Amino acid sequence: MRIVIYALLLGLLNLGCAWGAERANPRSMNFPPLSFTIPKTERVLLKNGTPAYLLQDRELPIVTVSALIRTGSVYDPAAQSGLAQLTGSQLRGGGTTALQPRQLDEELEFMASGVESTFGSDNGMVTMTSLTRNLPRTLELFSDVLFSPRFDEQRFEIARRQALEALRRQNDDPKEVGDRELTKALYAGHPLGQIPTAATLQAIKRSDLQAFHRRFVRPDNLIITVSGDFDRSQIIHQLNRSVGSVRPVGALALPTIPAVPTNDKPAVLYAAKQVNQSVIRLGHLGITKDDPDLYAIRVLDFILGGSFTSRLMMEIRTNRGLAYNVGSHFDVGRRFTGSFMAETETRADATLKVIDLMTGIIKGIRSEPVSEQELKLAKESIINSFLFGFTSPASIVLQQARLEFYGYQPDYLDRYRERIAAVTREDLLRAARRHLRPETFKLVVVGDAKAFDRPLSSIGTVQQLVLQ
Amino acid sequence: MKRLLYGVLIGLWLAAAVPLQAAGLDEKVIEHTFANGLKLLMVERHTSPTVSAWIRFKVGSVDERSDERGIAHLLEHMLFKGTTSLGTRDYAAEKPLLESIEATAQRLLAERAKGIKADTALIKRLEQQLADLEKQAQQYVVKDEFFDLYARNGGSGYNAFTSKDGTTYLISLPANKLELWAAIESDRMRNPVLREFYSERSVVMEERRRSYDAEPGAKLWETFIASAYNAHPYGQPIIGWMPDIEQLSRTKAENFLKRFYAPNNAIIAVVGDIDPTAVIALVRRYFGDLPPGTPVPEVAVQEERQRGERRVEVIGDAEPEVVIGFHKTALGATDDELFDVLAAILGQGRTSRLYRSLVLEKQLATDVAVFDAPGSRYPNLFVLHATPRAPHTTAEVEQALLAELERLKTEPVTQRELQQILNRLEYEEARRMGTNGGLARNLTEYEAVTGSWRFLTSYRAKIEKVTPADLQRVARNYFTRENRIVGTLVKKGTGRAAP
Repeated sequence: MRIVIYALLLGLLNLGCAWGAERANPRSMNFPPLSFTIPKTERVLLKNGTPAYLLQDRELPIVTVSALIRTGSVYDPAAQSGLAQLTGSQLRGGGTTALQPRQLDEELEFMASGVESTFGSDNGMVTMTSLTRNLPRTLELFSDVLFSPRFDEQRFEIARRQALEALRRQNDDPKEVGDRELTKALYAGHPLGQIPTAATLQAIKRSDLQAFHRRFVRPDNLIITVSGDFDRSQIIHQLNRSVGSVRPVGALALPTIPAVPTNDKPAVLYAAKQVNQSVIRLGHLGITKDDPDLYAIRVLDFILGGSFTSRLMMEIRTNRGLAYNVGSHFDVGRRFTGSFMAETETRADATLKVIDLMTGIIKGIRSEPVSEQELKLAKESIINSFLFGFTSPASIVLQQARLEFYGYQPDYLDRYRERIAAVTREDLLRAARRHLRPETFKLVVVGDAKAFDRPLSSIGTVQQLVLQ
Repeated sequence: MKRLLYGVLIGLWLAAAVPLQAAGLDEKVIEHTFANGLKLLMVERHTSPTVSAWIRFKVGSVDERSDERGIAHLLEHMLFKGTTSLGTRDYAAEKPLLESIEATAQRLLAERAKGIKADTALIKRLEQQLADLEKQAQQYVVKDEFFDLYARNGGSGYNAFTSKDGTTYLISLPANKLELWAAIESDRMRNPVLREFYSERSVVMEERRRSYDAEPGAKLWETFIASAYNAHPYGQPIIGWMPDIEQLSRTKAENFLKRFYAPNNAIIAVVGDIDPTAVIALVRRYFGDLPPGTPVPEVAVQEERQRGERRVEVIGDAEPEVVIGFHKTALGATDDELFDVLAAILGQGRTSRLYRSLVLEKQLATDVAVFDAPGSRYPNLFVLHATPRAPHTTAEVEQALLAELERLKTEPVTQRELQQILNRLEYEEARRMGTNGGLARNLTEYEAVTGSWRFLTSYRAKIEKVTPADLQRVARNYFTRENRIVGTLVKKGTGRAAP
């Protein structure tokens, strides 16, 4: 209240003097300098050698702790696709050795603490959040979830049935169909292209979850991050007691995952849905983080399809009103080859016109250098918005852990902006020619072919997808 | 994927309804009202050298007349198109063309309105004329200049959204660039030009196809909400029905703009690495001389009491869903917080009653959500949404949901359930202080809807007073058959699934 009154007084005092002051023109404004350096985190090793990144921030009485685990659905046996996903959900959902699932739910929710676990394609995450005063107990539960899960049989069966129901619903949204079918087409023959089916989900037993957990969730296969309102020596002590005291059993043996097979055959895939708007997805395999063209690709992405004034957005949405959502993106692979995908949705009778526009725009960026203005805008945007990757302590520690987890160069973040700044129009053209190959695009269209402006077969031989 | 989407806010996608207060928020918010009625709320946070700035206008789709449905949202899109000095190479040369475009569009709308009696040849000619004029006008347009200015200066999350109750324009910037925000946003209020109107109207039609027409779940949602209201405009979809969007014109958008976009109908929140004294001076310099306008009038129409259960179904190419609503009070009204408590007991977390009963024990559903919708400024609905698990039907799920509501009428809730909600509120109060954007959202939203952001700081005390008897009373009064609306999504070809 005191501050409010103070502010009102200031307001009154200022009245008049600033009234006629000059306003700046946004096209030519100048700003005071702002230097930004990445906040420093501390890396410590727990007793058993597990690395932990710490970043204290006492603004709020909350602590966040995460474990980043080297695991994921790439390790699913083909006949048990869905194993990682179920293990991830049941790590937390299935209770701990000490607590039935229901007891764990009740104790956490009564404290307003959270522990959640999910396994993605090439990593697993377990995260706890808690009010500072509940940290000791929540951290114990977090560590129990990690290392002593119960995998309750009944909860596992519920989770499996939920996954089966999600399968039944996987064709309800045409956009989801398009995304999934393109991923399957790009990564055919690789674990990244495997999608669970009823048969693979039915083939998974509780003992498979336990074995998957034993294999991957071990102190020598994960990184801990801690951020928020903690005391340094106390948290190190607590982490050593909970996580640091766990000894790995046997040697770590991660299965070898083959590289993604190259897959350059173009394809036209069609899935029928009676809708008034077609879903269009197209693309091919892309690059990994170690590609020397990484920075050129980041800039290219902004210009081609990653911003609100990108070429795809400008032509298809802004100029022609043919779509609400349109864009493209290089998903840079961290452990495996990434992808390039372009996407939009347009009214059925503009489907082929929009496909032509998209491929034409993508071809265009390979044929001649981008303009100086496009390059300047893209670079300035990426460089000047860089600091938004560091607005919360939780995201900062996690980012540090991910650099180590995926084996980035230690100076990756520190030099990111200067490397973006160094990208030239020639670099971009070279990268576009090397990494965009429109003649190999796999195209997925979900919609009502009767209403299209031209038959899809005018692009290539159409393979009809059967949705089930 | 980094992409800018103009969001149409629909209640379904909002997290459940419990508002959040903040320990210490009382001391941290600095408030300033300018002579023209503009309200500024600020919080200093120095976690990172960034700042979030949100401008919320107290006008949303609920304020539209029946021939304007969809205009609040379309206007939100149009206000990205620039001003008399931004977004144009030469406004003086552009202006007469914009006028010809609108005159042609008006003739086209009038002719089309004749329906089967319309002169189709004339329509064709007018369409061609409109297309030609729009093409001519393109030579003057600097495309999406606001975006480019923000982007090159490191802007992040530049966006806007329209809800039933309000319209918000938001951006985060490096802390040294706040003046850019003030310059652009004050110009957007002072000199907007709704150029490229008819191509943007097509974009909104695509948005509608994408978000509703091709999504059976969303189609059920808008049908359900529409069936809940006979008179009150809460029933109409924010984006408008497709035939509504087809009738919208630049003239209508400009009228709406002039009627409502005044500084006294706006609330600004600036949160982050700021010096509040300097921000007050900055906002005064850029926004202080905007003339005040007429306050947004209250929507006077009140929905009559419902006299019997309403049921609607949507047949779609998708698996079944069920949604049940009950009319209830507006945010901040007497007893309204009781519904928040009921929503938490029923639907928040793995220990909630519906999750336990329908998902874990009976396994009738895979998901259950409880929230209020479609807005909060006027009396709204208490909504239960569930995803049935095959082979269980929407009818079975509906019965199970209603059975849990009946239990609330007969058995008092436990003290432990109430205490768990209070513990959760304490945590949320802290958590919500953790992002600039989240705080800016809460401050503008509660200031606009309840009249003061302090709603947030007095909320927990209200909840502490809630008794099991209060909850029983409200459950008995509101969770009745005659006050109920039930919507089901039925898979095409499976016949009627509703009882």
